[in-house]
Amino acid sequence: MTFRSGAADAPAFNQNLGAYLFLAPALLILFLSLLLPAAATIGMSFTDISFLRPTNFVGLDNYLRLLSDGRFQQAVFNTSYYTLGVTLPTMVLGLLAAVALNRRFPFRVAFRTIFYLPVLTSLIAAAVVWVYIYEPYSGPMNGLLVSLGLPPQPWLQSPNLAMTALIIMAVWRDFGTAMIIYLAGLQDIPEEIYEAARLDGAGKFAILRRITVPMLSSVTFYLMIILIVQSFQVFGAIYVMTGGGPLGSTETIVFQMYQTAFGYTEFGYAAAMSTVLFFVILLFSIVGTKIMRKGEA
Amino acid sequence: MAELELSGVSKVYGAFNALRDVSLQIADGEFAVFVGPSGCGKSTLLRLIAGLDPVSGGRIAIGGNDMTARQAGQRPVAMVFQNYALYPHMSVFENIAFPLQMERRTKDDIKREVSRAAEIVQLSTRLQDRPAKLSGGQRQRVAIARAIVRKPGIFLMDEPLSNLDAALRMEMRAELTQLHRRLGSTMVYVTHDQLEAMTMADRIVVLNGGRVEQVGAPMELYHNPANLFVAGFIGSPPMNFAAARVDAVEGHAARLTVEGLGSFAVSYDGKEVSAGDAVTIGIRPEAMLPGAGEAGHLSFRMTPETVERLGLHTIVHAPVGAKTFTALFNGDPRMARGSALDVSVPLAQLHLFDRNGAGRSIRDIQ
Ligand SMILES: Nc1ncnc2c1ncn2[C@@H]1O[C@H](COP(=O)(O)OP(=O)(O)OP(=O)(O)O)[C@@H](O)[C@H]1O
Ligand SMILES: [Mg+2]
Repeated sequence: MTFRSGAADAPAFNQNLGAYLFLAPALLILFLSLLLPAAATIGMSFTDISFLRPTNFVGLDNYLRLLSDGRFQQAVFNTSYYTLGVTLPTMVLGLLAAVALNRRFPFRVAFRTIFYLPVLTSLIAAAVVWVYIYEPYSGPMNGLLVSLGLPPQPWLQSPNLAMTALIIMAVWRDFGTAMIIYLAGLQDIPEEIYEAARLDGAGKFAILRRITVPMLSSVTFYLMIILIVQSFQVFGAIYVMTGGGPLGSTETIVFQMYQTAFGYTEFGYAAAMSTVLFFVILLFSIVGTKIMRKGEA
Repeated sequence: MAELELSGVSKVYGAFNALRDVSLQIADGEFAVFVGPSGCGKSTLLRLIAGLDPVSGGRIAIGGNDMTARQAGQRPVAMVFQNYALYPHMSVFENIAFPLQMERRTKDDIKREVSRAAEIVQLSTRLQDRPAKLSGGQRQRVAIARAIVRKPGIFLMDEPLSNLDAALRMEMRAELTQLHRRLGSTMVYVTHDQLEAMTMADRIVVLNGGRVEQVGAPMELYHNPANLFVAGFIGSPPMNFAAARVDAVEGHAARLTVEGLGSFAVSYDGKEVSAGDAVTIGIRPEAMLPGAGEAGHLSFRMTPETVERLGLHTIVHAPVGAKTFTALFNGDPRMARGSALDVSVPLAQLHLFDRNGAGRSIRDIQ
């Protein structure tokens, strides 16, 4: 008697063909909306295209210009500052909220919902509300400072404070995401591990430091990559709240890109900025996925 | 090293009584096994002793000190969990070292204690590996080593072998017994496997429905079960039961009628029966002997429905009255399915239970 291996021998090629057919519409949309513009952008970055003059091929000129452009360097610095300022507090607050809400206590679900709500609000609407919150004379933020006996601050009007104000708002919006992701990660830590640690004499803080945080390390890493990539691309809040000012203090790469393209109609130069950002983000994503894979193995 | 004393311990989950009025004393150095069917409260009791859950009532003392209000980690106990509960992100060394680090011991101290414990559980060569790289048995040993370094007065173990395959379980059973002898500490061991209980325990605590049914040495429970539950739980295959009626009582002798077994007289040392009582008799499968017995034996015929030959034993299932009896004969005697067979039981090996309440034993039939 011979063994037959069920249906496993079904022609692989036909199966793949079917799969590609089903995927075709999605792939087409992906191609038209993502890959094609991306390729076009990279192409444009080697030209001086501006739609006002005839277009010339300029080779690496745009990139060489970027290297010596003080304003762009300021934007890179601003973006990095913003990214760091958002990523770290968002993760710390998200973790603390997740740990606190992972226990059983009354209104747990209500708290979760409240913390997650900012994530669901429209960015533009939230930004408008935060402009009001930061309003120097009648805004609640300064109201709070004054009621605490502290001097009021020109939040969005001071070059020293505007970026911090944007960071505070971003943390408010994003830490709900971090919390939800951490909560999911916490579900994967068996209760018995905590019990073993308690029996081993570990207090609350030792458990957090030696058990919870290390066991969430892959979640933390994933979150970090997401937040970095997201922060690199910040635009909407800046557009609504500061317009890159005051004195360029909140001008980030994407905002500058937007201004260069649509304000100064230097599309070729903006495309070069965009290409640089694209590859930086790609690099982060690749390194991130690589390390994640290693962690799982 | 410490003795354990539970007095009137109870645990309530909502409206559910998981443990009711458990009082127990476990001596210093004793190997005590909690045994009972699933859901009877074994793990709950262990967790109360560990301090992982608070008691709803009663008192827990270890080494003479009241521990009832103390947190887990503040009690001189260490626990080995069913699923090992190792820290997956730490190496074997770090796992074993963790409790010592929590005690803020010096590096040298930790190193010495960890290697001593690793040697006891034969894991000295695997100290740098992560738990994921180890086999189930090795993981269990790491968990045991982690318990050893705490030098606890009492080791608590919740079904530590139930995730291992049969062969490894047997090996680890012997190792745990040896470990107990070597360390000399008190052990409280939870299992639902009566074989583990019988082979490892100095004393067995039989739990059922949140209550202690009986406490005693393995052979004491085997020979003198306090009630129907213990009689049916301890011993494998389980004891056969048959309903009986007391026809007459004369001093310490009673005449019983049992369906399928006829009428016979027994003498017993209790005074709890009177004529007309409904009682239960119990016969262990291994108490049945092939062939008609002499005086002092209860003899009857049965017709095997199945005959299972295991070499060392032969197990026979046969209808007796309304019940199916299981008999376990030594060796490989000549008997066949469907052909009637004479069987006898020494009267002294019958068990008699009243049928009131939990069914207390009316013991020592002669
Ligand atoms: N946290 C809890 N909340 C509610 N009920 C619980 C809780 N923990 C245990 N119980 C109940 O208490 C009873 C005893 O549980 P326990 O875990 O002690 O049983 P067990 O004897 O260890 O059983 P097993 O052999 O299956 O492990 C069970 O009926 C269980 O449903
Ligand atoms: Mg249990």
